[in-house]
Amino acid sequence: MNVIANLCKHQQFRRALADYRENLYRIAYSWCHNPALADDLVQEALAKALKNSGQLRDPHTLKAWLYRILSNCWRDHFRRSRDCVDVDEVVLVDQETPDINHDRNQVVHRVRTAIALLPMGQRQVISLVDLEGCSYIEVAQILDVPIGTVMSRLSRARKALKERLLEAEIQCGSTTQDGSTVHRLRTAK
Amino acid sequence: MSRDKLSEERLSAFIDDELDGTEKSIVFEALNRDSELRQQACELRQLSELVRHAYNNPPPSQRFQKREPRRFSPFGQAAAAALLIAVGGAIGWISHKPDSNAAEVPDMRAMVWGEDDRAFHSTDLSSATSQNGLKRVILHLNTSSPARFEEALTTAERLLNKYAGDSHGAEIEVVANASAIKLLRSGYSPFTTRVQALQQKYFNLTFLACKDAMDHIRELEDLKSDVRLLPGVEVTPSALEHILERMNEGWVYLNV
Repeated sequence: MNVIANLCKHQQFRRALADYRENLYRIAYSWCHNPALADDLVQEALAKALKNSGQLRDPHTLKAWLYRILSNCWRDHFRRSRDCVDVDEVVLVDQETPDINHDRNQVVHRVRTAIALLPMGQRQVISLVDLEGCSYIEVAQILDVPIGTVMSRLSRARKALKERLLEAEIQCGSTTQDGSTVHRLRTAK
Repeated sequence: MSRDKLSEERLSAFIDDELDGTEKSIVFEALNRDSELRQQACELRQLSELVRHAYNNPPPSQRFQKREPRRFSPFGQAAAAALLIAVGGAIGWISHKPDSNAAEVPDMRAMVWGEDDRAFHSTDLSSATSQNGLKRVILHLNTSSPARFEEALTTAERLLNKYAGDSHGAEIEVVANASAIKLLRSGYSPFTTRVQALQQKYFNLTFLACKDAMDHIRELEDLKSDVRLLPGVEVTPSALEHILERMNEGWVYLNV
């Protein structure tokens, strides 16, 4: 009976992991803005989660546990590629991809660009809070930082995004030929 | 509390529903006094929406493709359906008993405006609504979570049932802003039938959508006309201002 129970548990765990795959991919993409790398990170995170499934004591904390593994994979990736750079301070420049070319003038592109310009620590916090709806405590556990750091990073990220997106709006408005103002990115309500 | 004292971190935490009752009431008081701060809060909320919108559809993953759902033969489907009905019926028959909690006010944290000390107070919903004259509740939704909307509808229905015989009667408003607009949006909401049924059953239940949030969706989606709402859903120029106004009138606030 124990064998059957364990098998069922394992199947359940695999299904739960599969359910989180899309969310993990979206978060990974918001961190690296590179679909192939996001794929690799999610694959690596899921493999680690399967291998270390015994470490998950409370099934209710699966979400935070998975994001923590993903965050560690992302950190490891950076350590492999840039040994001396603190991942929290890294600012990725805008990376050209076909999809970015396609929606160059779209809101989505401008917001993604603004997020890509945030330091990595801020980018991770804002994506976990706004995209995945994680609580501040969960984010602190995932990134292994104090909750005060989560709050300050989030606040700084939002301030920077606000400034960049409003600046983008002004630039967009000034480039129209007929002199009319474009309000596609107006955030002030 | 002046705006200088209310840090941006605290305002962000308020937007993310991370503050406890006391802290929340301090922010509410500050919002009530300071229109610039209200504007700032709205901007933060819109910013969160923009971030969500930007990553709603990331480029498709090359490695992971969604599997087609497994298909069963018609015979298998019929057998499974019959089994499900039989088992479900049996469980329902065995476990059926009147729901004694159906009309109970759920145990939720609420907020009220104290006219005596001119301050917001955190309290629990049942004690707030048990007082005379406080049967007016404003339920606020700011996420597109169907579970939360379901919770809001259930709470509203329970309150309306509980106070149906009360001489003061109850009045409930469900106010949606930010991404919660989706749940009152025609063609998008999975609750169309439920909302209509509740509107027909309770004359004192009103659904309101925030015009600011609707305009924001219109801009994001590049729509030519206004966002279409479910029939009977009313529009308020600003959800936040509407909520503050209601609370000043003595309504009980509940963030679902």
